[in-house]
Amino acid sequence: MSDPDPAASSRHASRPGFDASRAGRRAECDGGGGVPGTRFAGREEFAGTLTGDYVDHGDPPWRWYLLAELERKPEGYPGDAVWCESGSLFLS
Amino acid sequence: MPRDPLRTKLCDMLGIEYPIIAFTHCKDVAVAVINAGAFAVLGEAMHTPDEIAADIRWIRERIDGKPYGIDLVLPASSPLEGGLEDLESKIPASHRDFAAGIAKRHDVPEPKGPVALHRWGGLNQQMARAQLDVVLDERVPVFTSGLGNPAFILEAAHARGIKVFGLIGKKRQAEREIEAGVDAIIAQGYDAAGHTGTIGTFSIVPEVAAIAGNTPVIAGGGVTTGRHLAAALCLGASGVWTGTLWLASRESDEDMIIKEKLLAASAEDTTHSRSVSGMTMRTLKCPWTEEWAKPDAPRPLSAPYQMLLSARYTQAANDHRREDLMYEAAGQGVGFVTSMKPARQIVFDMVEEALGAFEERVGDDA
Ligand SMILES: Cc1cc2nc3c(=O)[nH]c(=O)nc-3n(C[C@H](O)[C@H](O)[C@H](O)COP(=O)(O)O)c2cc1C
Repeated sequence: MSDPDPAASSRHASRPGFDASRAGRRAECDGGGGVPGTRFAGREEFAGTLTGDYVDHGDPPWRWYLLAELERKPEGYPGDAVWCESGSLFLS
Repeated sequence: MPRDPLRTKLCDMLGIEYPIIAFTHCKDVAVAVINAGAFAVLGEAMHTPDEIAADIRWIRERIDGKPYGIDLVLPASSPLEGGLEDLESKIPASHRDFAAGIAKRHDVPEPKGPVALHRWGGLNQQMARAQLDVVLDERVPVFTSGLGNPAFILEAAHARGIKVFGLIGKKRQAEREIEAGVDAIIAQGYDAAGHTGTIGTFSIVPEVAAIAGNTPVIAGGGVTTGRHLAAALCLGASGVWTGTLWLASRESDEDMIIKEKLLAASAEDTTHSRSVSGMTMRTLKCPWTEEWAKPDAPRPLSAPYQMLLSARYTQAANDHRREDLMYEAAGQGVGFVTSMKPARQIVFDMVEEALGAFEERVGDDA
């Protein structure tokens, strides 16, 4: 059922894209995710500039945007960019 | 009183008697709560799609057609990095030394097996998608998103007769999800076990109720007694979302050591700490959280680095059942959890106490 057979993999396929109307827009992300190895999740907050790059996962598409030039990120967050789920992004 | 104050629009929506939702990882607790006339949601975030499907079947066979829910954690942000393994090398020596010092000071043994950092290679988008597909395929009556906006799945869920609830910690998240058309919104306050926002239950619930219109609001965080239930309804909620309450129930599969710790704990025995994962979460205090809270401790690393440091401690504590080291997520209401009752009894006691609280308020001596 959920194992990677051809039908399942097309169902979960990722498709990258670019949305010029979002490129350069400042946005905040009420982010977070599951904590590997535990039953817990954590919330994290980011603010930065959208590059316009996105990835759609599966069908119905679950869209993720790349937020870069981070002005606000969790303490100790090592990178300068993060993928943010579109429903959790708030454009300024 | 003119009508049953516990009969809310959430009860009508779900066809349940009492507006109490148990969040639990234990199937036995879920079944007992559902069969007592309340509602239960099984936390499946760390399970494979096949395990989720098996759990759904197990529950269905025991609840005689009553509704139930499945909770997943939908990630809302994800760093660019890949596997956890290459991240190990980036942990500063100062932090490694501090963790080693904790192990020495508290005589933390080696875990019995390899440290199970993650069963999944991280909770990434594709894994969450695969889990969601089980929820859709199985036409689970209620899907709750414990984190992350479930808007993208709403149409597909509704087409299959699935109700979708979103859990939020901030007003703007609630606005977004209500606008998208979620069937109920869970407003979870800072008192709660596990991940929380920074706003207290008493503030977030009425704030969300004020903008929710007809969408039922469910209050979470610190709800452990009938008085909390009555108060939540007065704040504008149509029901309560409870986690800590069930951990020490008779049916719960928590280790007996943890149950005893929970029964003995009060609100002050919990901590809201970044020391376990790098993301704030409320758990029982333990030597690990206490050491990282000391003024001379290094500041905890971000996720997932801090998790790499704490995983060994956690696994050793559990493998060896070391009472002094073990901990669990627990909310500030843990002080009201004082006996190991059957889940069914917990439901009935809560209902009775809530009704008593309402009667007391409308009585002469209120
Ligand atoms: C042991 C434990 C693990 C938890 N894990 C999750 C989880 O995997 N997903 C989730 O949405 N919430 C999780 N929570 C939080 C609950 O959904 C709920 O919001 C919280 O327990 C409510 O606060 P309370 O514990 O004060 O009742 C967890 C809670 C506990 C006690």
